[in-house]
Amino acid sequence: MKTTNTADTGAKGRQAWRRRGFIFAFLAPTVIAFTVFYLYPIITVVLTSFCKWDYTNITSPEFLGFKDMFNNYKYIFSTYPYFWEALRNSSLWAFLGVFLQIPVATLIALAFSRKMRGVKLVRNIYIIPNMISSAAMGMIFLQLYSPLYGIVNPIIQVFEEGFTENILLLKGPAFWALTGAYIFFTGTTTLLILGNIMAVPQEVREAAMLDGASGLKQDWYIVLPMIKDTLRTVSILAATGSFLIYNEVYFLTKGAAGTYSISYIIRELAITSPRTQFGRANTVAVVQILAGLVIIVLVNLLYSISFRRKHGSGEGGRK
Amino acid sequence: MKKQKPIKTISTATRIFTYICLAWALLVSLVPIVWLVMSSFKEDPLARPGFMLPESICLDGYISTFRDLHVMRYFGNSMWIAGVSVIVSMLMISMSAYVVARMEFKGKKIVSMMLYSTMFIPATALTYPVYNLVNRLNIYDTRAALIMIYACSGIAVSFIVIRNYYGNIPKELEEAARIDGCGYVQTWWRVIFPIARPGILTAAVLAFFNNWNEYYWASLVIIDRNKMTVPALLSTFTTAFRTNYNGLFSAMVVIILPPIILYCVFNKFFVEALSGGAVKG
Repeated sequence: MKTTNTADTGAKGRQAWRRRGFIFAFLAPTVIAFTVFYLYPIITVVLTSFCKWDYTNITSPEFLGFKDMFNNYKYIFSTYPYFWEALRNSSLWAFLGVFLQIPVATLIALAFSRKMRGVKLVRNIYIIPNMISSAAMGMIFLQLYSPLYGIVNPIIQVFEEGFTENILLLKGPAFWALTGAYIFFTGTTTLLILGNIMAVPQEVREAAMLDGASGLKQDWYIVLPMIKDTLRTVSILAATGSFLIYNEVYFLTKGAAGTYSISYIIRELAITSPRTQFGRANTVAVVQILAGLVIIVLVNLLYSISFRRKHGSGEGGRK
Repeated sequence: MKKQKPIKTISTATRIFTYICLAWALLVSLVPIVWLVMSSFKEDPLARPGFMLPESICLDGYISTFRDLHVMRYFGNSMWIAGVSVIVSMLMISMSAYVVARMEFKGKKIVSMMLYSTMFIPATALTYPVYNLVNRLNIYDTRAALIMIYACSGIAVSFIVIRNYYGNIPKELEEAARIDGCGYVQTWWRVIFPIARPGILTAAVLAFFNNWNEYYWASLVIIDRNKMTVPALLSTFTTAFRTNYNGLFSAMVVIILPPIILYCVFNKFFVEALSGGAVKG
């Protein structure tokens, strides 16, 4: 009796160990990847943002000391000439991600959700630009904007005769030309939203129809509130993604005409510049990480405020 | 969902509005590509700028793209790097996602939080530490560096897609396998993995496209021309072609073609993957 009992608990114990071992072994590769690629770099970035670390002491970052701890930050904020320009541009792109890119993506998703002729074909075509790398897209737009053989200058010439300049070199227009090179390619976002629009139950639509809400009215009062979680997620992705823009800047302007982005100056400080400044690059990186968090909080706030109001008026009373 | 009346209920205003949206979608997605293809046929794009049609179809650029640029080599590089990294990351993530989706253990919350958080960690902020790491591992300027970076990045999306797919597999299947005497690993490999294959394939296709198109890291860790991926090759174009615009346009068309063809092949699958709610908030 006694022996079988201990054998039983022994088997159970072995079982538990096996289970634990399995869990450990199956999680380990991903956790290691996470540590190597995310955790360790983030810790390095934060720590070395308080270090003197540049081309003069490549292998040995030196802590600035508690008194001068924030010297890199001071340098970036007050001396480095491109920081504020880059922060302004990147923030504006994040803003446009939420307030231009997502509305456009949603409108097109709504259009795709209607059972009309030709919708499927257009939907399939609309994804194509998203299948091409943004580097290639940047390259294509560089050609489109060329004053020599592009198509943008001929269009401007309709309104302003004799316009021969390169808009990528004009302060102001360059920013918008850069924005135009990526912002309207919302294929994947549109598909994500479309999937959720299609998941709105038919009964809900029929009920809305009986209340006299059809077409655009139905979209606004019934469909949008029901997909608000997805909208929030894609808004966050659009905003944080746009904040990181690098490829477009590199291929179109290389930062000329006031188009620096945060990612661009990080790479310039850390790698491209002949006088590399790793510590300061990581300082900008810390700002970038924090800005990303702020963006997430802001978008969440925006959604909870704007949808609470709608909720109050009695529509889409879910959750 | 089959035969209903809603076709009649779309009002004229909505209809017009929808057509405007559709027209916009077509315009945005087609104009750049059509113009690019058109320009690649022009013998001298400078002589016939903008929307002017080519005088005659000139294929010199295409011929030289294959003959002088060795473009196939770069496709090979991209294929190898994107392919291997996708296999590695899918194996890794389908294992951990299984544990997180199906088992209870201490620290489960932390692990999933960790993996989700990668979606919001800006990769460019990690530029220097990763660059430094690659150097210290002595894999700078090798394909292995890019494979490592790609296998580790983009964890979040793959994780979400695969985890959700596991979530839909009935638990009884596992229990049956366990009763039949399968160990944990066997249960996963023999029973769960084959069933979850469509979900894993979805994640793999998404990841493959991402890695194929990735430019930032590709241009950072590889400088040897012979090892470059397709997007990295693009940045050499402006100097490589100088004033040979016909060659430039043709090379660009050739470069954007494979993903488009791949998309046309996987199109249905791809659209379902994204719009089927595989990735949710």
